[in-house]
Amino acid sequence: MTATAVPTRRAHRRPLVGSNVFLLILTLAFLAPVAWALVSAFKPAAEIISDPLGLDLRGLTLDNFRGMFHDVPIGSGFLNTAVVLVIKGAITLFCAPLAAYAFAKYDFRGKNAIFGTVLLTLMLPTIVLIIPLLLEMKQLGWVNTYQALILPGSVDAFAIFWMRQVISAVPDELLDAARVDGCGEFGIFWRVVVPVIRPGLAGLAVLTIMNIYNDFVWPVVVASSSKMATLQVVLSTLAQNITGHKVGADYATVTGELLAASSIALVPLLILFIVLQKHFINGILAGSVKG
Amino acid sequence: MTTTTAVPLETWKSRRGYSMRRAVAPYLFVLPFIAIFLAFSVYPLLFTLRLSFTNWHGSGAAQWVGLGNYTYLLRSDAFWGSLANSGMLWLLIVPVQIVLSVIVAVLLDNAKLRLRGFYRVAFIVPFVTPLVAVAQIWIVLFDQNYGAVNGLLNLIGLPDVGWLVTSVWAKPTLALLFLWKTSGFIIIILLSGLQAIDSNVYEAASIDGANRPRQVWSITVPLLRRTIMFAVVLQTLAVFQMFAEPFVVTKGGPYNSTTTAGLYLYNHINRADLGTGAANSFLLVIIVMALSLGFVRLLRAKD
Amino acid sequence: MKTAFTARRRIPVARLLALGTAALVAVGLTGCGPEISSGDSNDSTASASMLTAPSAKSPKGEITIWDRSGDLFNVFDAAISEFNKKYPGITVHHEAVDIDAKLQNTLITGTDVPDGVFLDDAKVGGYADYLWNLKVVLAPYTKDIAPQKVDVNTVNGGIYGVPFDLDPGLLFYNAKALEEAGIDAASIKTYDDLIAAAKQYQSFKPSSKPIHLEQSAFLGQLQLEMYANQLGTSLADKNGKLRLDSPQYKQILGWLDGVQKQGLGTRAEYLSPSDVGALDSSDEVFYPWSIWFDFAPQQQLTKTKGDWRAMPLPAWTAGGARSGAMGGSSFVLPKAGKNSQLAWLFYKFLMYDKAGYTAVYGPNDIYPGGLNTSIPAYEPAADPDQPLFQPIKEMGNQDLWSTAIKAGKEIPGGAPIPSWWSGAVDYLGNNIQKMLDGSLTPQQVIDQSSKDIQANLIDRQ
Repeated sequence: MTATAVPTRRAHRRPLVGSNVFLLILTLAFLAPVAWALVSAFKPAAEIISDPLGLDLRGLTLDNFRGMFHDVPIGSGFLNTAVVLVIKGAITLFCAPLAAYAFAKYDFRGKNAIFGTVLLTLMLPTIVLIIPLLLEMKQLGWVNTYQALILPGSVDAFAIFWMRQVISAVPDELLDAARVDGCGEFGIFWRVVVPVIRPGLAGLAVLTIMNIYNDFVWPVVVASSSKMATLQVVLSTLAQNITGHKVGADYATVTGELLAASSIALVPLLILFIVLQKHFINGILAGSVKG
Repeated sequence: MTTTTAVPLETWKSRRGYSMRRAVAPYLFVLPFIAIFLAFSVYPLLFTLRLSFTNWHGSGAAQWVGLGNYTYLLRSDAFWGSLANSGMLWLLIVPVQIVLSVIVAVLLDNAKLRLRGFYRVAFIVPFVTPLVAVAQIWIVLFDQNYGAVNGLLNLIGLPDVGWLVTSVWAKPTLALLFLWKTSGFIIIILLSGLQAIDSNVYEAASIDGANRPRQVWSITVPLLRRTIMFAVVLQTLAVFQMFAEPFVVTKGGPYNSTTTAGLYLYNHINRADLGTGAANSFLLVIIVMALSLGFVRLLRAKD
Repeated sequence: MKTAFTARRRIPVARLLALGTAALVAVGLTGCGPEISSGDSNDSTASASMLTAPSAKSPKGEITIWDRSGDLFNVFDAAISEFNKKYPGITVHHEAVDIDAKLQNTLITGTDVPDGVFLDDAKVGGYADYLWNLKVVLAPYTKDIAPQKVDVNTVNGGIYGVPFDLDPGLLFYNAKALEEAGIDAASIKTYDDLIAAAKQYQSFKPSSKPIHLEQSAFLGQLQLEMYANQLGTSLADKNGKLRLDSPQYKQILGWLDGVQKQGLGTRAEYLSPSDVGALDSSDEVFYPWSIWFDFAPQQQLTKTKGDWRAMPLPAWTAGGARSGAMGGSSFVLPKAGKNSQLAWLFYKFLMYDKAGYTAVYGPNDIYPGGLNTSIPAYEPAADPDQPLFQPIKEMGNQDLWSTAIKAGKEIPGGAPIPSWWSGAVDYLGNNIQKMLDGSLTPQQVIDQSSKDIQANLIDRQ
């Protein structure tokens, strides 16, 4: 290790100390606020506000969690989020690559107009569509149903844009070879394209899961019944007393319960990311514009 | 894979059914997407477009007001103010974020770095934290008198700063939140771009004796240009549509200094002034579109 | 082997967008959208939206009631069992809901609309189109309801909410600190007296800034309306006409400006850490605020916990009203609700039946001493001699009930809340803060706010 070390290696060693110090300080700044929230969730509610930085280990309590489980339907929130996540995620991960494949590898009439519209919706602030979409749900009789939570936005413009990017990179020779082998058009997609773009799909999967999991604007609006409330709807119900100018007697309690609920909500995504981080990074590699 | 490979492509292409299948397939492939897209994106989009020419408040019949909503907005100081706020936030966020993310990504793109996995997870943690929680965290940490941030400033002898309560500092504080929350994603996009760069180019450079910062500036950054532009366009869209962050942290204050274009639009909708909200969003689309095209053109010009 | 279907590496973004836009605009103006009428269609079917009382002897059915989450939700939840003792046939589905986020959209779609909703008084007017006019059912009680609460629920002669609580403004003061400085709180009878007392306290404790000045634009405007209510006015009259440019508002703004200019005010957001710090260090000893400030000594303050007391607000002129309302909520009944009549029975019980209002305000599991952050708006419930909530031990066992009831009776009527009130915060609320910054004079606040509110809110309704 010592005698054989090549000069380049030695040259690299010193900067690594600097890199580590720099990165450690930066990661500390990235982690500290979340750590604060996690710890505060276990503090008595009144202390979170009166002494935000203090930490008395003997004073730690599960009261915030107990209160939160009692006050809001977080269990059914998790369940609803899970249902929406599985079905909506499956639709996105099937329809987006399939359509993107057509956009990337075929010429057909109307292609440019359709893709132009896709790009246009990418630039439209989504909140403006909420009311019209809601009226549409009303006409369909879908308010407070799973289909209303699942179908709108299930194949969004970004997913198409992203997958088109991924599939463009698949060499045409590969597709032609499969054609020569007598593969059907869908067979080419399913047996040739999908295996090749697996990293890109993984990236889309993680982004999709994250978007569905954290989405709250649309679910808050369309799932007004507490039976249909997703996790983020439950969170925003808790947060309303703080964010909506509400200043009543329950400010501290709500803050404590909100932090408790947020901590619980954070855990599944964090685990997901830690488990899938390799795929996620390779996936982004496949989807983003490269140098 | 055995017999057909022998058939020359030209012969194969002339087979019956081939062209038919080729012609129909793409339509079938886009069909599921188109159905969902038409029903839940295009239809409400058209509805909104029509709404933007009316004074509809959500109930009863709407009245046609022509371009009234558009002219009202274009003459309104608050509309331009919200755009200026978003523009300022863009300036505060995007350049800093890109530089910082390039540095971090370059440092992380080193196989010898031991804690790589830890760093990557650490940077992504804010990205996966629910926004309502983040907002509370920010409010407490940046309190003028009792926040931890001013506590740290005091330690090194600096005076308190009214982070969220003065119009001078509210924007940077909000920008910091956005930076903190989204940089992990940008870092990973850049990291993926870096991994696509052939490592041979560095070896050539280190033989030439170029030091690391020089290498990064003169080799990595140019090779990464398209990825960087991709990140810039993504963040431009995100900054100009930003509404949830100021909505939960500052409610647009103090003095509307954090009323972003997205929040201003939301305020119309929240007041049931749906026609003005619709007009506002189309004006926003035009601006975002112009900006994105500008960046794309910039990229082309340098190619 | 490049074939025709090779993907182009670069996307011709501009052309694609132009195509997309053209496609959309072509279809757009012909198709979807709301019904559009050419003429004016202000058909106010006032009689059709009048709620009547149910006639059945033992009514049966289910109702859905929305409240916001938190302790108040638990209080109402507990009161439901009392309600069911009287009306066993009515099942109440009680839901904690983010009302601000959901109500408007639910009303627009008309799907799964709740039968009753807890709503800020300031928001009732904005929803009146969707709500039952309760004038007839409330008629037996109207004369016993605090006039201010009737006014805020009145739109074009109809009453659109069941008044819940009255939130009288009080002057909270740190009795111990004032005593040490030799100040007799009872001598403060006008706002000029308050300034004099503040000066006296400041000369006793030079680091202090004795009077609270609100820094949140929203709450600052809410507090301004409390001061204005004392003078019998509000932002708009009952016809919705703006009346900010008046001697009353000039007086109030001038006073606030004076407090700030003389260095007598602690500028902070209500009970933010900064505010709590100043309160707990006895630097901030006067807090002219709604009754719900009593939450601070009970739950937030530590060092000065037992030191706070409340008294009626000072008057603007000697002998003037000693209180004004600040905040408050009501219950509204959407027309699209399925069982509105039964929901009315629910609120009638909670507000006007002794068993009901005792369950809400009296001691319960959530508030062992009773709900003391507001008082009932219904006079028979607000009897100074029959307290529903107990004296508050964190306020030196002061009998806040009788103090607040007496103050409540002084609140003048004639102060309706316009439907655009919340929207005015962007103008008036912000301009008050600019005045406290020193960048606007009181007259400029009035002129600019009036102009902007007229142009951006009233004219665009």
